[in-house]
Amino acid sequence: MTTYLIRRLLTLVPVLAVVVTVVFLLIHLIPGDPVSVMLGPDATPAQIQATRQALGLDRPLHEQLLKFYARVLRGDLGQSYFLDRPVVTALLERAEPTLVLTFSALLVAVLIGVPSGIIAAAYQGSLWDRALMLASLLGVCVPGFWLSLNFIYLFAVRLGWLPAAGYASILADPVAALRYMVLPAVSLGFNQSALIARISRSCMLEALQQDYIRTARAKGVSQRSVMWVHAFRNALVPVVTVVGITMAILIGGAVVTEIVFNIPGLGRLIISAVLRRDYPVVQGVILVTATAYVLINLMVDVLYVFIDPRIRYG
Amino acid sequence: MADGAATTAVAAAEAPARPTWRRHAVRNRNIAVGASILAVVILAALLANVISTHDPRRLNPAQRLKAPSAANFLGTDEFGRDVYSLVLHGARVSLLVGATTMILTSLWGIVIGLIAGYYRRVDMALMRIMDGLMAFPAILLAIALMAARGPGIGNVIFALSVVYTPRTAMLIRSTVLTLRELDYVQAARALGRRDLAIAFRHILPNCVGPLLVQASFIFAYAILAEAILGFLGVGVPPYVPSWGNVIASGKNVIREAFWVSLFPGLALTVSGLSLNLLGDGLRDVLDPRLRVQ
Amino acid sequence: MGRAIAVVSLALLALTALDAEAQKKGGTLRVGILGEPPSLDVHWTTATITETLGNHIYEGLYTLDATNRPIPMLAESHTVSKDNLVYTFKLRQGVKFHNGKEMTSDDVVASLARWGKQSVYGKALFAQVADWKTLDKYTVEMKLKEKSAIVLISLAVPNNFGAIYPKEIAEKFAPEVKATEFVGTGPFKLAEWKPDQYIRMVRFDEYRPRNEKPNGFGGGKTAYVDEIRWQPVPEVATRVAQVETSELDFADDLNLDAYDRLKKNPNLKAIVAIGNGWLIAVLNKKEGLMTSQKLRQAWQAAIDIEPIMKNVAGGHREFYRMDSSLIMAEIAAWHTKLSGLPWNERNRDKAKRLLQEAGYKKEPVRFMTTQEYKWMYDFALLTKQQLEDVGFVIDLQVVDWATLVKRRNNSKEYDAFTTGIGAIYDPAHVNFLTASWPGWTTDEDILKLQADMAREVDPKKRMAMWEQQTRQVYEKVPIIRYGDLAGLRAIRNTTKGFDEKMGRVRFTNVWVEK
Repeated sequence: MTTYLIRRLLTLVPVLAVVVTVVFLLIHLIPGDPVSVMLGPDATPAQIQATRQALGLDRPLHEQLLKFYARVLRGDLGQSYFLDRPVVTALLERAEPTLVLTFSALLVAVLIGVPSGIIAAAYQGSLWDRALMLASLLGVCVPGFWLSLNFIYLFAVRLGWLPAAGYASILADPVAALRYMVLPAVSLGFNQSALIARISRSCMLEALQQDYIRTARAKGVSQRSVMWVHAFRNALVPVVTVVGITMAILIGGAVVTEIVFNIPGLGRLIISAVLRRDYPVVQGVILVTATAYVLINLMVDVLYVFIDPRIRYG
Repeated sequence: MADGAATTAVAAAEAPARPTWRRHAVRNRNIAVGASILAVVILAALLANVISTHDPRRLNPAQRLKAPSAANFLGTDEFGRDVYSLVLHGARVSLLVGATTMILTSLWGIVIGLIAGYYRRVDMALMRIMDGLMAFPAILLAIALMAARGPGIGNVIFALSVVYTPRTAMLIRSTVLTLRELDYVQAARALGRRDLAIAFRHILPNCVGPLLVQASFIFAYAILAEAILGFLGVGVPPYVPSWGNVIASGKNVIREAFWVSLFPGLALTVSGLSLNLLGDGLRDVLDPRLRVQ
Repeated sequence: MGRAIAVVSLALLALTALDAEAQKKGGTLRVGILGEPPSLDVHWTTATITETLGNHIYEGLYTLDATNRPIPMLAESHTVSKDNLVYTFKLRQGVKFHNGKEMTSDDVVASLARWGKQSVYGKALFAQVADWKTLDKYTVEMKLKEKSAIVLISLAVPNNFGAIYPKEIAEKFAPEVKATEFVGTGPFKLAEWKPDQYIRMVRFDEYRPRNEKPNGFGGGKTAYVDEIRWQPVPEVATRVAQVETSELDFADDLNLDAYDRLKKNPNLKAIVAIGNGWLIAVLNKKEGLMTSQKLRQAWQAAIDIEPIMKNVAGGHREFYRMDSSLIMAEIAAWHTKLSGLPWNERNRDKAKRLLQEAGYKKEPVRFMTTQEYKWMYDFALLTKQQLEDVGFVIDLQVVDWATLVKRRNNSKEYDAFTTGIGAIYDPAHVNFLTASWPGWTTDEDILKLQADMAREVDPKKRMAMWEQQTRQVYEKVPIIRYGDLAGLRAIRNTTKGFDEKMGRVRFTNVWVEK
């Protein structure tokens, strides 16, 4: 097992190297020029050139790439052209909303998905089961961003129960934070909750089929304790790993949600950075999210090895 | 991440455990329903020119934001364009993007997967690159690629193919890795058959199953991704009828004219539904043993 | 006894007035804006958002009154020599910067020197300046190379304006580099800037307003609110929603479709801000299809402007204005009311004939626009259809604003692009009649008339020249003028004192009801 873990950790290096290179190449293919946008429509070519030189944008590509590697290794992600501050600072300022959104959506997905799946499994074949499975099928297919629009229309505009958009920090004002986070978290977590429901149900069903469960029931142990003690714990294993993947998927889905709900997180940052041609920030966001994705998957793999005693990789 | 235990777990979990007779009934229903809905969507797209009531691109400012009526079945948008015709023609873009992406990712996935599964030396490098590409959340990578290449349906297809190919490549590679070790393949190699021949005769046929399943889901992801890109303004040009574009244009008038965003959203949901059902059904049909642990 | 009562009553009245004034003080104003300003360095950029925010913390020597004519702000007065070549400015005394320092002529000279090298308006003025120096602590002298009609107006224009910075800051940051320290003399000072979240400005307690009543952007400016919180909310639908739910007190640049709904809301007022600007299609006269004058005239003849404006305005009559004047009605000094201009002729036959005469062979016209300004995209799309109906082939290229701004400097990349012309306060500042601005108007007659106008000091003669210039523009068609478009703003009823007539948003003399 240790060898597996070590091998797994080592694969991080080349993967991250590829990530960094792809990020660098991507951005330098983008047309449009940050300096023209910053200086406004009446800037002369001479001024544009002067500012470009001041920002180091006129050096050859390979030079910029090597410099990029060196800086990333040092933890320096550069300076934002637009925001006048280090990219790392810009990212840290906006990390909280995205993390809160992602975790809230995950919570929604798990809290709705797991119980639904388990209930469906417990009453397999019944109306409940079929209704839940239909709902979860729809849940997987409904576009999250479309759902967001409809939620805003229904709950904020027509009913007025919740704010239409915005964000408040949990640290500053927990109650307001909660109110602002309901619609975004639900619309983002909705798709994933459906997926988790279906998988929980499958896992539960499979667990219930296992021999030792049948033996326990034959021995006369009551239905409920059978379920909750044995099946649940076993079903949890793959569910935990799915939750890990869900986290990774949610990071990507957060972009659109942040746009619709005006949440000042990394997703909104990358869209405005792309529009403003703020290269360093785009690189920073993609780098950070990709790295997070890689690390989360790593953790999930490691966790899985520890949780499931049946799996041992030599 | 390719050999990750997690993907295995999901794969195992997705296989439902039901008595065999029930399984047959359900899987057939899934495939039947999924395929029929998809057929309707495809038909609507193909016949779009015939069954549309208006030219979807024709602006008619005097008729802007009109509610659904006999003249405009699903209402009009902010430029007076007929939503019904827009949805029909939008289906063409969505299906074109979805199908082409699906085909391209399958082709590239097969090529890369085969090479990686067969030739160990290249495998390491290829897999690290695939891992690297898969590390980017799909939508972010697509946004960045679209920003780099500019608008246009060709570029959307390219961006989505790049994003989804790694997944298919991994799948094919896994299949190849198992099948390599099987007796009849070993035998064929011992007999001196060329690698390409072995690939075509023995390996590829066994990939078809998992590939089909994967393909239906990629079709669904691609349709949705195209809509998201259009919604964010980085997809096909905004005046080209596409579901994402129409939803985006309806976003700002959602209170005055909710129908503009509503109907393309429904169309998206229904299409995704049909493909998911199809994929589920196909996955049930395939013997789980064929998917590699 | 009667006298005593009178005195006491007067005193009481005064006290009540003072008390009422005192009661107005306080509160926070939350304002929704459409994005992050690229900087708060007003010398550095013409961006509107920088202008709006900058005018709360900075002031210039002059500013504009309610008729958009220059009036003194930081200047006390000025004199002009008999030959019109020497301007002497006397500064107000005892004006404090936000850092406590007093404003003197050294600050003025340093600031305007920096402004003169970077700002569009600064460069236009300083091209005519021979010398610029301090005479004493509160006096500055400007010597001109030739007679100029635009001295005061250039110093008064609020966009990209000659804000007075402390000398140390003006000298610390080279003109082409963004300043990152923001110290001014305005009634508000910058307290905190959290990008993408908010920009906080607080009242500057040592601000001494001028004695006159508020007049346009000038006169006495009082900061009643304790704080203005500018919040960037890029999604317009969200901006609207937030002012409806009172999360914002004020929101600007709203989509016009929201007007009907906002009108019905009893808690806020929907403001139609006409005089915001007018829609323009700028034609590439350096190379490409639009070098042909007949093609340009064909475009001008073909379009039917009113339905386009109506659609852009969301169907509302209040939001657009049909006008052929190249300077908007709000700038009364230069508004023209000429008849017989070939504007909005809607003459398809004439257009088709011109296309034929031009020898047009259906080559695609590359027309650049963006969705980031929805009204640009709207009028571009509608224009495309109208032009294609008379025989043009239009290649509509929808890009993001950053790309458009870059590409429009390159004559190989487009034939026409969309933009808006905001307030222009003097004919000499008309950017689309210069040879260097995108579109490259190089017609000799037009350029000569512009140069003559800059030198002519008699206002009546200048106006006659401007009318002549307008006729020339409609004959030679360097650009296509559409109609005027209003903006939509929304303000909650608890926010009082806002001057709706001002073209740009200002929160001086505004208070929040508690």
